[in-house]
Amino acid sequence: MDLTTIEATQVLDTCGLSCPMPLLKTKKTLKAMKAGEILEILGNDPGSKYDLPDWGNKGGNEFLGMTDVDGGVTRYFIKKG
Amino acid sequence: MASETLFSSVKEEARKNYIAIFEQDWPAWLAGIFIAILALLIFLWDTPWGIAGGYRNWGDWFLYTIGVNSKKPFAPWLHPMSMSNFGIFAGALMSALMSRQFKIRKAPPLEYAKGIIGGILMGFGAAFAGGCNVGGFYTATGMLSMGGIAMMVGLGIGAWIGLKYLLWEMENLSIKPLVQKTKGGTFLGVNWDIVQPYIGGTLFIAIVVAFYFYSAIDKTTLGGILFFGFLIGLVMHRSRFCFVRAFRCPFMTGESDMVKVVAMSLIIYGMGSAIIKWAWIKEPMMGVYHPFVLGSLGGGAVFGIGMILAGGCASSTLWRIGEGHLKLVMTLLGFSLSNALTHKFITAYNLSEKMGKGVFMPDVFSWALTIPLFIVFFVCWTFLAIWNEETEKFVIF
Repeated sequence: MDLTTIEATQVLDTCGLSCPMPLLKTKKTLKAMKAGEILEILGNDPGSKYDLPDWGNKGGNEFLGMTDVDGGVTRYFIKKG
Repeated sequence: MASETLFSSVKEEARKNYIAIFEQDWPAWLAGIFIAILALLIFLWDTPWGIAGGYRNWGDWFLYTIGVNSKKPFAPWLHPMSMSNFGIFAGALMSALMSRQFKIRKAPPLEYAKGIIGGILMGFGAAFAGGCNVGGFYTATGMLSMGGIAMMVGLGIGAWIGLKYLLWEMENLSIKPLVQKTKGGTFLGVNWDIVQPYIGGTLFIAIVVAFYFYSAIDKTTLGGILFFGFLIGLVMHRSRFCFVRAFRCPFMTGESDMVKVVAMSLIIYGMGSAIIKWAWIKEPMMGVYHPFVLGSLGGGAVFGIGMILAGGCASSTLWRIGEGHLKLVMTLLGFSLSNALTHKFITAYNLSEKMGKGVFMPDVFSWALTIPLFIVFFVCWTFLAIWNEETEKFVIF
């Protein structure tokens, strides 16, 4: 999937937060979303690179991918299942 | 290739291994095995592994400097736990540099506050439990001290309370995300990404030199501890080894991965130390002093809350500082100072006797029963966590 053209329904910025806050916020935000919607998460904690892909594929959700952008920030995409 | 020389072959192999070691992450189970072995080696080499004692040494220095304490503490470079802490930090820093992940990482003000408060709670809890998540739980359990199991229960309770707070905070306090300034990746005019591995390599050589230096001044034991700590820091950073997850994730996401790893690591550690102690290679009561049950349980609960707030326990605080997290520097300051002060308080009022005393598992269950019970206990913990992962029975969010 081409991550640069993906249309996210909602964006969650977790920059500056570290483990476990990014994952906790992702879980909370995703709970309020509808099936099929896509959540984009911005974050710069190195831990998220392991947490989010692992967790993103659980509970029927789908982890679509991640891509590094400027300033050490990574964009993550999860599709709510 | 026909033109392949020995040199080019070695170079290619070295490049592949560099990627495998420093660019790909290590599986947590492998780290669990390594850490158990390293902890056993530290035990054989000198005394059981701990971290909080080193933090306390640093806190004592502060208290001595400002005139609160009159007794001069051990020099940090002559204190075993302080030395292994330096090692863990240096190992993680080297690992972060080698994998080009070192960066000064700032956080929003509320996160710094949580870092300090988490550190204070951990320092307080560790003083009562006779150690942190390493000395009071991991090593205590490995040394077959009942206090380790009590602290484990306490850590679970604390993690649950801490997580409840984080959920409350998420609903009620809004934290503005930090605006990231895009910095040019240069260091003294050169590309930081290219420079990092060379600094990491230099650090590795410095640690090896330090070992031989300690050896030359007749302090080989300390040099060895520094080196073992260094290896632990490397392993922890490469695998992002985090004791907190074993206690937090069952309540948060239901994941049981880290529970499996910690349980397996403890079985190796415990069985290894059983061999060492049963055979009297080391004195059996060594490392068995944790105040069972009140101190370990209560201290563990307070420590558990602290580690959730800080986002790191005693060990992951060190390796995350090595990766450049400023929030955890705050945690370290809070931990050191509060641990030194609480320890002073406990000694002054002779509280440790009231909190319980060190109980050695084989004294309670006999050697014959301790070994199967120990294994069954940790296997049960693992199965409980796996069952929770499937049913989410304990997940509170």
